Amino acid sequence: MITFGTPAFLLAGALAALVPLALHLIRRRPPARAPLPTERFLTADPRTSVRVSRPTDLLLLALRMLLLLLAGAAFARPVWLPAARGTSEIVLLDRGAAMASGDGWRQAVAAARQRLLGADGAPRGELVLFDTAAGRVPRRRINPALFDSLAAAPPSALPIRYAAALRAIPGAARDLRGADSVRVTLVTRPRWGGWNDGIAPLRRAAWPGAIDLVALPDAVQADSLGADTATAEAKQAILFADPRDRVTAFPVAALQATGWEVGVVSPGQPLPPQGATLIVVSAPLPAAAVRKIVSRAASGATLVVDAAAISSLASALPWEPARADSVAGAIWFDGGLHLSGAARRVAGKPRRGAKVIAAWDDGQPAAVAGRSGAGCVVVVGTALAQGEMVLDAAYPRVLGRLARGCESAMDGGADVPLDAGARAVLSGAGPRMVAAGAVGGSGGGTALGRWVMAAALLVAAVETFLAYGRKRAA
Amino acid sequence: MTTPSTDFLPPGLLEHLGGLEIIAKTVVRGFQAGIHRSPLRGAGEDFAKHRDYQQGDDVRHLDWKLYARTDRLYVREFEERSNLQSYLVVDTSASMEYAGAGGVPKLRYAGYVAAALAHVMIGAGDAVGLAAFGAEPRLLLGPRARKGHLHDVLLNLERLTPGGSGGVAGVLDRVGVTMRRGGRVIIISDLLEDDGGAELVAAAGRLRARGDEVIVLRILSPEESGEAAPDAGLFFDPEHPSREVPASPRQDAGYARRVAAYYDALADRLRERGVEYVPLSTAQPVEQALVAWVNRRRG
Repeated sequence: MITFGTPAFLLAGALAALVPLALHLIRRRPPARAPLPTERFLTADPRTSVRVSRPTDLLLLALRMLLLLLAGAAFARPVWLPAARGTSEIVLLDRGAAMASGDGWRQAVAAARQRLLGADGAPRGELVLFDTAAGRVPRRRINPALFDSLAAAPPSALPIRYAAALRAIPGAARDLRGADSVRVTLVTRPRWGGWNDGIAPLRRAAWPGAIDLVALPDAVQADSLGADTATAEAKQAILFADPRDRVTAFPVAALQATGWEVGVVSPGQPLPPQGATLIVVSAPLPAAAVRKIVSRAASGATLVVDAAAISSLASALPWEPARADSVAGAIWFDGGLHLSGAARRVAGKPRRGAKVIAAWDDGQPAAVAGRSGAGCVVVVGTALAQGEMVLDAAYPRVLGRLARGCESAMDGGADVPLDAGARAVLSGAGPRMVAAGAVGGSGGGTALGRWVMAAALLVAAVETFLAYGRKRAA
Repeated sequence: MTTPSTDFLPPGLLEHLGGLEIIAKTVVRGFQAGIHRSPLRGAGEDFAKHRDYQQGDDVRHLDWKLYARTDRLYVREFEERSNLQSYLVVDTSASMEYAGAGGVPKLRYAGYVAAALAHVMIGAGDAVGLAAFGAEPRLLLGPRARKGHLHDVLLNLERLTPGGSGGVAGVLDRVGVTMRRGGRVIIISDLLEDDGGAELVAAAGRLRARGDEVIVLRILSPEESGEAAPDAGLFFDPEHPSREVPASPRQDAGYARRVAAYYDALADRLRERGVEYVPLSTAQPVEQALVAWVNRRRG
């Protein structure tokens, strides 16, 4: 199938080709001059002094029309496309270290194979392998043997970077041949380790539709979640906040995203009975409530106190307030966890025995954690339900990190699964199959413009030769 | 390699010309015996008349049978046959180059005619000379009767090239001065004279007054005569190329009529002066045209 990049030139060429035809037909020329000795007996006929010319040299006329047609066609940027083959696949296969656990790697290779190989073993798209960097597998190498060798070899020991995989999509899409539409599949074990704040805009830029996310079961997910909540009972959390305030919904949703059952308690209400292993205080508490909460923390619960409640629990906290600093910013946790958009900043420093678990951009402590009996008290120098940070993709993960209290799940390089929100950001919205032309896939045909132009030049040369010959003969 | 004789007198033409005689319609006073009637009485075979015997007459010419019947002496007189001097006058003006569509040029056709006539006349013992007019009047060959003279005539015909525009009167007058009285002048031309043929008629009349036989062979192509008039075009006379006429002869019914009227009028004026006018067409084979003409002369 031939398609044209700028079909208007084709029309222009066709119209231009009519010009020599029109000139040939409408040009008036004197009749041929001929000797006739009996000229004296002729009667002058003015009608024959000029005459409408009929096409006298059809070959030359045809060449001129063909020349203009070819020139128009050349400028129309013709592209030959092979027969359409339906939907082509781009498979982004995670080969990072996280795939090594369990049978994840084999499952991932099998999933990629299922999507990329047709019944005849021919490739149906492009394969991109990524960890910290992405590499495209040459199309000629995509065959059953490749997947066999991939499954036999272990994945790499490197962490993954989803950004690298996303950046490889446009290039892979451009090299597709003859596809009507394109679908992108990400086969991965979703981990926060591969995440950063640029994922959302990068995903939108790299791919206009949705990415088919094949999330493999996480063998360590239960362990990771266990780091947040030791038991099923321990997954109960209490949030002291104003339930009438709409922003309260943000921390509630974030905690739920990380596996907590959250009960919202107004600061004036009594503390619910034992059972909650996480108490988040996001509002000033009365003194009676403070004592109960502190004792609950001492008995093993994790107490997270944000800037709104620091003053009411000041003596019980591993936090030594300093002069207030109103300039807010981003908060950095260990392991690269990053939360931006904090609306308020409360300056302070850890007391003896406490540990800084997060810092502001300027290095000042943003969150500290300290032991309190069998439990842990975490102080955050900003309001957890305010500002734009609640809209940050990392927000649920930050709350999950705070909920782990004095334990550091990130220690030892352990990585936790992406929450549902991050997964939603990664997979994106919109159609799963995108027209090939929208992502540059239609550019994969064979450009014929220069060949057509070469043909036009050849025709021009023949036309010149013929016209010169005719002129000499005349 | 072809020679002039094979060019102008191919075997096929010679075969048709065998036995052809162009007998003069005038009385010829020649020096040699020939096929033409002579004013002299003598040793010919054709009986002329009886006359009274006079002293000194050869007794071999007495008609003894008549003497037996009439008892008077009569002498039998016979006509002598003589040869004549003739000139072939060929038009080489530019208009004679015209050939028409796929035809032979008129000058070439005139060459065929002249060669055939020279062959016939020299074969009959006549002396044949050659003259031409076009750019200028030229006497190319004087009249000779020897057999080898035919080759000279053919060579000169071969060398004729068309060009110029001149009248025939000048060359006819020079022929009249050169040729003995009672000769024959054959003009081969398209007769497209600027003066309508007035000088031709006058010059031919002067020759006739001398007692010469004048024959005009008019050569024309079918395109010129209107039988196959050309399609529309910008036409010019080769003798006056600057004069152009846009016309459609094929659609012009009056064209052929005007051409015919011109030649008819010219032919009438020539006949009034005793000039024989013979129209020929280049579409007609030379041998057929000549044989038909000679047969018509015999009556």
